[in-house]
Formats: sequence, C-alpha cells, structure tokens
Amino acid sequence: MISIESSIILLKDVSKKYSTDNVVFSGIDLEIEKGEFVFLTGPSGAGKSTMLRILFCAERPTSGEVWVDGVTLSSLSNAQVPYLRRKIGVIFQDFKLLSNYTIFDNVALSLEVIGLGKKQAEQRIMQILEGVGLAGKTSHYPLQLSGGEQQRVAIARAVVNRPSIILADEPTGNLDLQRTEEVIMLMEELNARGATIIFATHDDRLFENTHRRVIRLFNGRIRI
Amino acid sequence: MTLAILCRRAFSDLRQNFCAQLITTMVVSLSILIFAFFTLLYFNLQHFVDRLGAELGLVVFLSEDTPKDRIPSLYQKLTGLSEVEKVTYISSEEAFGRLEKFLKDEKEVLEGVDPRFLPPSFEIQVNRAMFQLKRIKQLAGEIDKWPEVSKVQFGQEWIDRLYVFSGLVRTIVAIIGLLLLFTAAFVVTNTIKLTVYARQEELKIIRLVGATNIFIQGPFLVEAFLQGLMGSSLALGVVFACFRFFQGIEAKSELLRGVNICFIPWQYTVAIIASSVLLCVLGTALAMRRSLRL
Repeated sequence: MISIESSIILLKDVSKKYSTDNVVFSGIDLEIEKGEFVFLTGPSGAGKSTMLRILFCAERPTSGEVWVDGVTLSSLSNAQVPYLRRKIGVIFQDFKLLSNYTIFDNVALSLEVIGLGKKQAEQRIMQILEGVGLAGKTSHYPLQLSGGEQQRVAIARAVVNRPSIILADEPTGNLDLQRTEEVIMLMEELNARGATIIFATHDDRLFENTHRRVIRLFNGRIRI
Repeated sequence: MTLAILCRRAFSDLRQNFCAQLITTMVVSLSILIFAFFTLLYFNLQHFVDRLGAELGLVVFLSEDTPKDRIPSLYQKLTGLSEVEKVTYISSEEAFGRLEKFLKDEKEVLEGVDPRFLPPSFEIQVNRAMFQLKRIKQLAGEIDKWPEVSKVQFGQEWIDRLYVFSGLVRTIVAIIGLLLLFTAAFVVTNTIKLTVYARQEELKIIRLVGATNIFIQGPFLVEAFLQGLMGSSLALGVVFACFRFFQGIEAKSELLRGVNICFIPWQYTVAIIASSVLLCVLGTALAMRRSLRL
C-alpha cells in the first residue's frame, strides 16, 4: 500500500518517454521511506539516471505523479525547484566538480546558495572535509587530486548542507575496489545520521551481501 | 542570497575570466568611442551654426528721407525689443568710410561720389539666449514694416544652408548611432553568449546544488554593469582627451581662434553611459535566458 505520509519519495504510475519508440520506463510505482538506504540497479540504459534526474527535477516525467519530501513535483514551479534541490544532495559518477574552483570553494558552493554566513560555512566545510579525509587539501584544485579524492569532494559538496535525501548516480563507477569501499562506508555513515539514500549502480557486487533493499529496473519496469 | 555573496562571486568571476571580460569591455568601449566622436562632431557643428547665426545679426537700412531727429527714437524702439542685445547706428558717412577702407587701394572708384549715397543703418546684435532662426526671421519681418525702414538684411541664406547641413549631420549621426547601437548590442550579446556557453557546465553544476536564477544570473549582471560602465567611461575619457587636445590646438592657432569647440553636454554624457550599461545588462539577461532553464 503506497502512502504519502510515511514515505519521503513516492512515484505513482510514472512514465518517461522521449518519443513513441524511445520509452525509458512506464507505469512505475515506488515508495522509499525516510532514512532508507536503497540500491537502484539495472543494466546500462535501464533508466536509473533518468529516474534520479526526475527526482531532482532535471527532467519532468511524461505522466504519473512524483512526491519528494511531501512536495508534488508536478505542482512545483521552476522558481521553486532550487529550494527542493537544497533538500537533495546529488553525487555523480563523473564528480561534476568545478575545475577552476579550489576544493574548499567547490564544497562552499552548496552553502553559498543557501546564504549561510561565512564563519558558519567555513566551520561546516572544514568539518565535512575532515570527515572525508581531505582537510589538508582545501586549497588544491580537483585535477590535483586522485579519482577517489575527487569523489569524496563531490560527496562532501552533496552533504555539506545536510540534505535529507542523497541521490548517488554510479558514484563508484570510476573508482577502484578500495575507493569504492570507502565511498560505500561514507554512505553508510550518512545513512546512519538519518539521510535517505538512493544509490544507483549497475555493479551487483556492491549489494551482494547487503541487507539493503534493491530496486531493479529492467525493460522499463521495476522488479524488486 | 546576500549582495555581498553576489558581488564576491562577480569579482571572483572577473578575476577568473579576465580575458573574456576585457574583450567584452573593449568591444563596448570601441562602439561607444565611435558614437561619441560623431556626437561630439554634431554638437560642435550645431554650436557653430547657432553662434554664427547670432553673430551675423540684422542690418536695418533706413529710407534716405528719414529725418535725423527720428534716429534716437528708432534707436530706443530697437533697444526695447527683447531679442535685441546691442544696437549700433551707422550714418551714411560712416558707411562710406567703411566702404573706402574695404576697397583699400581701389578706393579711387569712389571719387566724386556723394559720401551720403549709402543709406544710414542700424546694426543689431541678437540676444544669444533667445536666438532662433524662426524668431530672427519674424523680427526682421516686423522691423521691415516700420515706415522709416527701407530694407532689413541678415545672412538668411547662409543660416538656412547651415541649418539644412546641420540637420543632415544630425540625421547621419542618428543613423550611425542606431547602427552602432545594433552592432554593439549584437557583438556584446554574442560575446556574453560565448562566455556563458564556455561556462555552461559550471552553471549546470551550480544549478544542481540548488542555486536560484538570481544566484546564477546575479554575478553576470554585475559584470555586465561594470563592463558597460567601464567601457563607456573609457570611451568618453578618450573623446574628452581628444577634445582637450583640439582645444589646445585651437588656442595656439590664429585660424581657429574663436571657434570655441564644445564637449558633449553632460546630460548626453550621462545618457551615453546609462545606455551602455543598459545595453550590457539587457544583453546579458537575453544571452542567459537559455542557461536559466531547468
């Protein structure tokens, strides 16, 4: 039974198609509860990224209704979208860091947009960079860091404003096994602090021995 | 978002994209420079025509049979007119003397001629503040109707020609101004579009972390404001330096002395700067429309 009250993310009969013969998924019903850590998996092109993009309003569904943290996305105006995005931290496979910004400034961006005071922001950035083990590299630029370090910066940027939802789109896709484990551990930590996490990956090994819920997207449908 | 964050971001962007910003500012500056030179030329021509018209004044020729005792009352009547600045009476003898001076070595041709053959006249200098060609024509027409007056003369033909010429220059300046404005708008908008395009990925990321449109657009608008302000100020500074240079030449040259070149009136200077700022800010807002979509 799907209910808006108990879930932080809710999709009802959601479809996304770019044209009649390019249907990404159709009739999707999905409920994710507050504080849940779920893996979203499926082969490449199954629509994992599209689903995440719908959740942070980078795309609109073709039909159906989506609720995120109690907000109906179809009723959300373009001007209201940034305020929803501040509740969501997004992590990408390609990190999406600004190469001409220092590590500190990359992370600061999330706090600048919400207008947090300089002192408070500095304190929070240092705290989060310490947490991901990059406190000594605040004045470095992304290209001076390794892939794993860059991903940790991206995670720091996504979580520094304490979002209630974290969407991770193949965050370990470019990392070796050791760095992948580090990222998973970081995610576990964030989840333990109360964040709801949707972790999109096509790598089955990441959830082989987990007790977490796994949502499988296949041929435009969900298989749980 | 506070103004401090917006300005800090704008100055940080200016530092990071210095070359692109400099190119845009130079494009604005060059366009305004050409326009300001034409405007300066136009105002000086207008000034010259106005001054020439005022200096030419009117010459009121009296009938030969005008009694001499009527002269003081006519003088009083003329000086009482609001458009008149100064009136000088030229008797027939004085006029003859002037003619002799003018003819110099050829004054023998006047031998045996009655020194009173030239009519007495009043030379009228028109009040500059009230100078208008229409009003001068009107005044000449009114004086011409006086019974003692045989003819009123002024450089109407010359003034008319100069006015037609200055009108033509005004039209040319307006057309060139509009063309330059469109060119500047086009170039500035496209230069900004290129800058925005080059930073598309950055804007996308900033949008993803929850930036509002004003957070994204604000620094660009501040930069555009500064580009418009600095570009136009620089151009007007160059024009002013040239103006001072010409003034120096004018002071030293016998030929140009008294031309009294003038600078663009301050109201127009402010309007040029304001238009330049508006052009850059609107150009940026237009160029960024696509970047603000979700």
